[in-house]
Amino acid sequence: MRRRALGWAFAALAGAAVGVSLLAVALLVLITALQAGPITAMRAVAEAGISLSLRSLEIPGTREAHTYVPMAQVAAGSPAASLGMARGDALVAVAGTGVDRPSRAWEAVGRAPGGRSVTLPVVWLPRAEVTLGGLRMESRNGETRVVLASPSAAAREAGLQPGDALLAVGGIPIQGTRQAWEALAVAARTHGVPVELVLERGSERLTLFWDPTRQAELTFVRDPLRAWWSFLTTLNEPRYPERAGLLPAFLGSVYVVLVMAVVALPLGIAGAVYLEEYAPQNFFTRAMEVLVANLAGIPSAVVGIIGLEVFARALGAGRSVLAGGLTLAVLILPIVIVASREALRTVPRTLREAAFALGATRWETVRHHVLPYAFPAILTGTILSFSRALGEAAPLLFLGAFLFVTYVPQGLMDSFTVVPLQIFEWATRPQDGFAAVAAAAIVVLLSLLLLLNAGAILLRNRLQRRWSE
Amino acid sequence: MSPLDFEPILSARNFSLWYDSQQALRNINLDIPARQVTAIIGPSGCGKSTLLRSFNRLSDLVPGVRISGRILFRGQDIYGRGVDPVEVRRRIGMVFQKPNPFPKSVFENVAFGLRINGYRGNLRERVEEALRLAALWDEVKDDLHRKTGYDLSGGQQQRLCIARALAVEPEVLLMDEPCSALDPIATAKIEELIRELTAVTTVVIVTHNMQQALRVSDWTAFMLLGELVEFGPTREIFTRPKDPRTEAYVTGKFG
Repeated sequence: MRRRALGWAFAALAGAAVGVSLLAVALLVLITALQAGPITAMRAVAEAGISLSLRSLEIPGTREAHTYVPMAQVAAGSPAASLGMARGDALVAVAGTGVDRPSRAWEAVGRAPGGRSVTLPVVWLPRAEVTLGGLRMESRNGETRVVLASPSAAAREAGLQPGDALLAVGGIPIQGTRQAWEALAVAARTHGVPVELVLERGSERLTLFWDPTRQAELTFVRDPLRAWWSFLTTLNEPRYPERAGLLPAFLGSVYVVLVMAVVALPLGIAGAVYLEEYAPQNFFTRAMEVLVANLAGIPSAVVGIIGLEVFARALGAGRSVLAGGLTLAVLILPIVIVASREALRTVPRTLREAAFALGATRWETVRHHVLPYAFPAILTGTILSFSRALGEAAPLLFLGAFLFVTYVPQGLMDSFTVVPLQIFEWATRPQDGFAAVAAAAIVVLLSLLLLLNAGAILLRNRLQRRWSE
Repeated sequence: MSPLDFEPILSARNFSLWYDSQQALRNINLDIPARQVTAIIGPSGCGKSTLLRSFNRLSDLVPGVRISGRILFRGQDIYGRGVDPVEVRRRIGMVFQKPNPFPKSVFENVAFGLRINGYRGNLRERVEEALRLAALWDEVKDDLHRKTGYDLSGGQQQRLCIARALAVEPEVLLMDEPCSALDPIATAKIEELIRELTAVTTVVIVTHNMQQALRVSDWTAFMLLGELVEFGPTREIFTRPKDPRTEAYVTGKFG
């Protein structure tokens, strides 16, 4: 009675563990994919035409620094460009939220209530020459001053005159021509508009309030499907996470795994057939079996060193798709062999005897009866080894595969990167947004692995039904 | 053993067999008459299946097997130098204890032996002929390609295995307890079939069931502990055995 209860308890625990972990992974993927918040918002901002970067301004006389967000690029013909935004403008606020980092702008777009398409107020500070006009440095009474040489129309309208020296902007002392505009950008965000300007006109000091920013309504299209699609199908972009694409890494992974499959499958299955069906029972066979089993336990980094020394250097394949595929083939070969041997062992002895008794040779028996019977199990084992290879980063890192490429490999000898390496590269970047991109790539990788494993199970079930009926 | 008035198709001559260090067959001398049914009987573990599997060199497949002596097939030693066991098995067919059809269609089951033998005639006709010989044709003719071997009942499966073996026209058909996994009705059908097979081939049948040996065989060999105790016409073995051990066995004193 007790033993039975214990058995039930263990069964329940095991079932719960498997069920919970599967459910967790599926939920994780589903939720992330459905929400896809960061990446969708990032893509929406990029689609509106704006690429953001991050700069920092030290406040003179203090240890403080404030950040501001210049537009690194404004795509020609985009909605942003048609509003007059241009490269070098600073983004000040989106939907009423001050923007001190690029992620703040993306979050504001992502969080804004509304459906697929939202129109939000955007505040920006046009670049220095538009806002302030020409500036120059001048020495007055032994002190260096930043003087308005030819104020812009907007500045004139606010009451600034040629020859005025800028002393402080929003409480920030002005020390240089570039810094004057940067101070304006920081002040507009931290103190709001209008900004308090302290001027020196002639010998008198005067204070002026000015709103140098522009405001407009900008429409953002938040489309998760489109965001995912463009994430998967665009080439990579080194600087702007909102335009980073997984295509080179994704196709790199596919190509490398294909090369691996072409090499490892025939070799592995042939090896398993030899060991199970042909090899005589002697010392060498047993030694080989032990070696193969141990090979499966080699750390993948060590396999990477083999790949580097043998394929990349000795065979001169370099850091190419070919070298990567061969290295992964070394990694999964023992797994394929062990899985295939297990599969071959499940073939009933009576089936082999039936073929032999009809005068079939060993090869005819293997080809017509043993392999077809074992095929579903072999397939399952090898697909599982594929998913291991797909998630593997260490061996390719050792091989010297690039972490980052912006093109799709065109041939066997092209260099490449794979999804895990790309994730690693993105995850280690300090800039805003790359963490979200790395997370998106992780979701892609996980979904791919789930898909492969589910495919293996489905395929096995279908084939098994066909054979065992 | 008195000289027998027949032409043997298979003969064992001083044949012994070891699995690793354990001797399974001891100095067997036996002649199998052509176009007749010979039964090999004996208690479990007496070596009757091993002897049967030695006749088509299927015992070669077991690791660690050693033999001495000869087995002559039409006068030629099948264990001789340069004899290909595959060739031996093409001429000496076998049916196993448990029906073991291939997981393929009925047609492919029967056609496999023909295909690997490079049969050049009409495959369909030959398959039908074999299925008719095995008394299975009427039951499967409508879905030769749709049904797999596994879709058939146990008795049908065994007759399919017999058809499969007969398709390549073996000169000898070895049967290793072909009815032990079948019900009485299926068994009766197979036994009837075995009687008819002497028209086309020689049958050697290993059986546990003495009544079966009595019903189907012309000759009977009794084995005990790896030795051939007695061989003779079935009726004599069962009614007037010469050896007291044979008498003890056929009268049910042990086994």
